Amino acid sequence: MSAPAVLTPQSVAAPGTAHWAAPALVAIASLAWLASVTVFVTHPLDELPLYFAQRFLVLDATSLLFVLVINTVFLGISVYMLTRQRSSLRLTRDIRSRAALSLAFMVVLNLGILSNHLILMWALIEVSTLCAAPLVARGDAQAPREVAWRYMLYSATTLAISFLGFMCLAQSADLRGIEISFQIDELSAALTTARDGWQRLGLAFILFGLGGKLGLAPLYGWLPETYETAPTSTSALLAAVQFNISVVAVFRVLQVFHGFDMNFVAQQLLIMGYLSLVVAAVQIMATRNYKRLIAYACVSSSGVIALGLSVGRAAAYGVVLYIVSNAFVKTLLFLTAGRLRAVYGTNDVAPLNGVIRVMPFSGLLFTVGIFALLGFPPFASFLAEMLILSGIVQAGNLMAFTVMCGMLTIIFVATGNTVFPMLWDESKRSGPAVVESLRTTLPKLGFVAILIMLGTYTPDSITQLLRAVAQSIAGI
Amino acid sequence: MTLSLIFCLIATVIPVFFSRISSAPTWLSLQALALGWITLSDDFSAHTLLLGLEVLLVRAVLVPHLLRRALKRQAQSRISLMPSNFFTWGIAVMLIILAFKFGDGARADVRALTLGVVAATTVIALLILSTNHEPKAQLIALLFMENALALFESLMPEPWPWPVHLTISAVYVLTVTIGCHLLGGEPRPSVPAAKETP
Repeated sequence: MSAPAVLTPQSVAAPGTAHWAAPALVAIASLAWLASVTVFVTHPLDELPLYFAQRFLVLDATSLLFVLVINTVFLGISVYMLTRQRSSLRLTRDIRSRAALSLAFMVVLNLGILSNHLILMWALIEVSTLCAAPLVARGDAQAPREVAWRYMLYSATTLAISFLGFMCLAQSADLRGIEISFQIDELSAALTTARDGWQRLGLAFILFGLGGKLGLAPLYGWLPETYETAPTSTSALLAAVQFNISVVAVFRVLQVFHGFDMNFVAQQLLIMGYLSLVVAAVQIMATRNYKRLIAYACVSSSGVIALGLSVGRAAAYGVVLYIVSNAFVKTLLFLTAGRLRAVYGTNDVAPLNGVIRVMPFSGLLFTVGIFALLGFPPFASFLAEMLILSGIVQAGNLMAFTVMCGMLTIIFVATGNTVFPMLWDESKRSGPAVVESLRTTLPKLGFVAILIMLGTYTPDSITQLLRAVAQSIAGI
Repeated sequence: MTLSLIFCLIATVIPVFFSRISSAPTWLSLQALALGWITLSDDFSAHTLLLGLEVLLVRAVLVPHLLRRALKRQAQSRISLMPSNFFTWGIAVMLIILAFKFGDGARADVRALTLGVVAATTVIALLILSTNHEPKAQLIALLFMENALALFESLMPEPWPWPVHLTISAVYVLTVTIGCHLLGGEPRPSVPAAKETP
């Protein structure tokens, strides 16, 4: 087998290359991050919610938290793109369009998270998918365009199911002679506490459709192949940024429906959570591909979130902490996986045996990411999983407790079985260790620091924000 | 209103049974004309007039034109929109009847008919998605579904506010643009992914 060509920074510098695009992306991402931090610092929680743009946008605890999270993640991803551009011919060639699409994606998602109108949020999720599809099509795995098309199709279909839900809610309100507005702060006025088939059907469709966007079984099929095929920066955007707008949509539905049909919501989330955990456990046992493994871990995370949400207030804080920590864990893992793929040219685990000896920084960061993913202390995911499990026990749902513990144990063993030889076995690669600059690892070290901070000492202001979001979804 | 709804239903149902992919842009234009008619027949305010014009320009002219241009180059455009066999036809008829049953509960004629047409368009689009593996047909199904959403607007007591309306129109235009880009373009030359400097 002939050795693939080694690309050097000099060899990839093509005439007409937009060298300004990646630094400009980092500059804009830094500004967005600074703006979100400034808003967080200058707006005490008791001043919220603030409505603007004729009440189409709202700044409350939920939107503030997620705007902060996605802009922090995006800053890390943009720095990654800047460092990768220097060594990747593909990225150098595409950087202008990828930077533009990533920016459009972020603008749409920021607006979506701030949205105070359910249909507007629904449409913005779809627009974000349409921005992400061309990014997925730039992957270098097999048939990326077909995968991007299936991603777009799946997304449109799951959102169409949610749309059927809106139709049912409109029908329910009309039959009771009430005018319905999909403005989030007004929607609950059109709901009824009486048993209403249309309302329940609408709620079921909305949650089922949004569950598909979250990667919850049974509508999770798009997720593994999309995350595997897309360029790693795009996988990170989908897993840590787009995922969060779907989470916000689910939170909005829970906030609106609090006091109406909550048992029904809990049952649906419980079933989708069980299914997702079982599917993820089985698939993680079978996979020998590290990007796919991270993708199935995302399915299992969605399952844990669904189980946590199903028990309501007992696990609400744990769920919010879990979601925030997961955004950083997934970004850390995908960005490190991108670095591994750049050197080894494959997503299979077998050729990467002993990667920690060849790429000490990336190998170590991947190890840290896997430990955080599996819920080891001192990371936030450990604390969050403990809080969710204790919430489930407090709620008296021993079945959910047993299934979650059982499936997480299987996922733990299967992940270790696949990943640990890849990290620590004897390396098949000859030659010295790959030199990695500090700049390439800096954003990932930042994510590790955030994960440890959230798991050990969380500043009061952040704890209060997390608590406020937890209270809003638990209806306290 | 009733006449325009029936016109919209015909423009949705006929192509599913008898049309090829290549003629879908014309049917989409006809659906959009019906949508424009429904919007403009509501009242004659400036807001409604602008909404109607936007529906006509984007949905009846721009998107069908983009789709027609993309389909011209495709050999698969001769394929039927939905597989022509009695099984799929039977399911389609059943779904349309069920869709109108769904609308029946509204107890008011125009509202029941509108809900029926919206539901029929959505389920027909889902049926095309599940029975036709040809991506072009699937793209057209998505556009049908988005027209159903636009029609759903007429059920609301007030038209969608501008930001919602414009975002939904953006989804429609982007769906056809990105869809045609993903399905139509030449495959990009492959670049070795392996062994780049870290």
